[in-house]
Amino acid sequence: MKARRNGRGSNDAPHGCENDSLSGRVLAKLVPLNLRASGTEDGMTVVSARSSEWVKPVTQQDPASAIIEIDRVSQVFQTSARKDHVALSDISLTIEEGAFVSILGPSGCGKSTLLYIVGGFVSPTSGAAKMKGQAITGPGPDRGPVFQEFALFPWKTVLGNVMYGPRQQGVRVTEAEAQSRALIEMVGLKGYENFYPKELSGGMKQRVALARTLAYHPEVLLMDEPFGALDAHTRTRLQNDLLDIWERDRKTVLFVTHSVDEAVFLSDKVVMMSKSPGRIRQVIDIDLPRPRRRNELLLDPRYQKYVVDIERMFDESDEAGAPA
Amino acid sequence: MMSPAAMTRRAAPVLACIGLLVVWQVASLALKNDSFPTAIEAIKAIPSILGDKESLVNILASLRRMAMGFGAAVLVSIPLGLLMGRSTAVAAFFNPLLMVIYPVPKAALMPIIMLWLGVGDITKTLVIFLGVSLPVIYHSFEGAKAVEEKMLWSGAAMGLSPPQRLVRIVLPAALPEILTGCRTGLVLALITMITSEMIARQSGAGNILFNALDMGQYDTVFAMIIIVGAMGICLDAIFERVRARLVRWSEPQFDMPLSFS
Repeated sequence: MKARRNGRGSNDAPHGCENDSLSGRVLAKLVPLNLRASGTEDGMTVVSARSSEWVKPVTQQDPASAIIEIDRVSQVFQTSARKDHVALSDISLTIEEGAFVSILGPSGCGKSTLLYIVGGFVSPTSGAAKMKGQAITGPGPDRGPVFQEFALFPWKTVLGNVMYGPRQQGVRVTEAEAQSRALIEMVGLKGYENFYPKELSGGMKQRVALARTLAYHPEVLLMDEPFGALDAHTRTRLQNDLLDIWERDRKTVLFVTHSVDEAVFLSDKVVMMSKSPGRIRQVIDIDLPRPRRRNELLLDPRYQKYVVDIERMFDESDEAGAPA
Repeated sequence: MMSPAAMTRRAAPVLACIGLLVVWQVASLALKNDSFPTAIEAIKAIPSILGDKESLVNILASLRRMAMGFGAAVLVSIPLGLLMGRSTAVAAFFNPLLMVIYPVPKAALMPIIMLWLGVGDITKTLVIFLGVSLPVIYHSFEGAKAVEEKMLWSGAAMGLSPPQRLVRIVLPAALPEILTGCRTGLVLALITMITSEMIARQSGAGNILFNALDMGQYDTVFAMIIIVGAMGICLDAIFERVRARLVRWSEPQFDMPLSFS
């Protein structure tokens, strides 16, 4: 079980990242060993009441081990008008192993670009991103992307798509197929193994894309507005399913979205960005119990407060950020 | 049992051919021109051509050159077009060259090529090669250019190297477009085959056709036109079958996406 900061005892009000990493280090020692059991039906009060049971000093592992470090990254694009567009300005961010981190911001704030830099698909104009201490120079199977556009291989069936990564990694056919079939079942597409992507709906395609990425066991999932192209109902279902899947193995997830609800519902930490130039406005810990259930969460005043607070902050920045 | 609609669809091409022949027959009878035989006369001349050993050798020689020219063109043009589509440097280098060659009728180059390489198979095959190359390059280029960046990124994240991505992602993703180019190329191969044999007469289907024209055997001329046309239809039909198989995944057969339940 990975050490994970549950944010217990951190204040309700959003706070900056400096405080955060500090409290993180302290709080990481309070790690529930069995995370599934810690949040049973009766929700958050029980978690805090029971928390003493689960307090275990973790000594072997660096409690808040950083998996991704983004160090003063800037990205400047040259637009056609020979004017430089600063997509990202001096971004520094550390993402801890096993955390679900959302990057939230209006369109055009460079949040996807930041994700692409971590993916190694785009090189930053200045600054550097590191994965486990190693500078990121290109894409690699340790960082698996899931795109809004699905980007499935249309000439491959569902099974072929999911098997593609493991096969590329040299996994034997029989083994890759067995693993892939299990994954397809996990994302709820059993029976669709031999369908081509064009025969699937958007939600199903995104399920395949998720399975395809999970199939090669990346350490970090990079999700670029993965549910942005889906209708509201499908999006809700996929959010729920993603959380279910994530709560099983707790991969590190970097999740780009412009939906406040989505970010708060899914994340441990929300990185709020502002646009032109793209900057980190604030990093907010989402101190809500897991496993999260949508129907419980929507009624939870703390969840509501996060959503309202974040929305208010964006509104303020819109007014303050009027063109100078 | 076929539905009436399906039967009409099946019968349509046959009806079109019969219609054309009827119009031809009527027009020919009306015009009473020696150089315009009736459809029936032309059709009657076909068995004598196909029964003649020398004619068959000629036609087969034509087909062989066509196959070689077409095959070589496809083998060269697809990689070139894909590279051009994915690399602006390669595209910047080859684009002007191709733009110069594109509007030139390939048959117009033939006299020069004949001076260099003689009137034999090589010249004719080369002309066919040139005729086929351009549409295949163009469509491969367009197909490669249109490949979704995110698809390539997904491949890169799985560990595919740039050359692997070109072969295993760009090529299959661009295949529908490439095959559209090949289909145009196939028809052009037939056209350049006949024109090349018109200019350098020695053997081939074009040779029969133009010799007959010189000798005023108009029924043979029109019979050859029918034969060449039929070859075109057959080759295209075979190609279409292969193409449909290869890109089944992209054909909009099942337009209605299944809803997830």
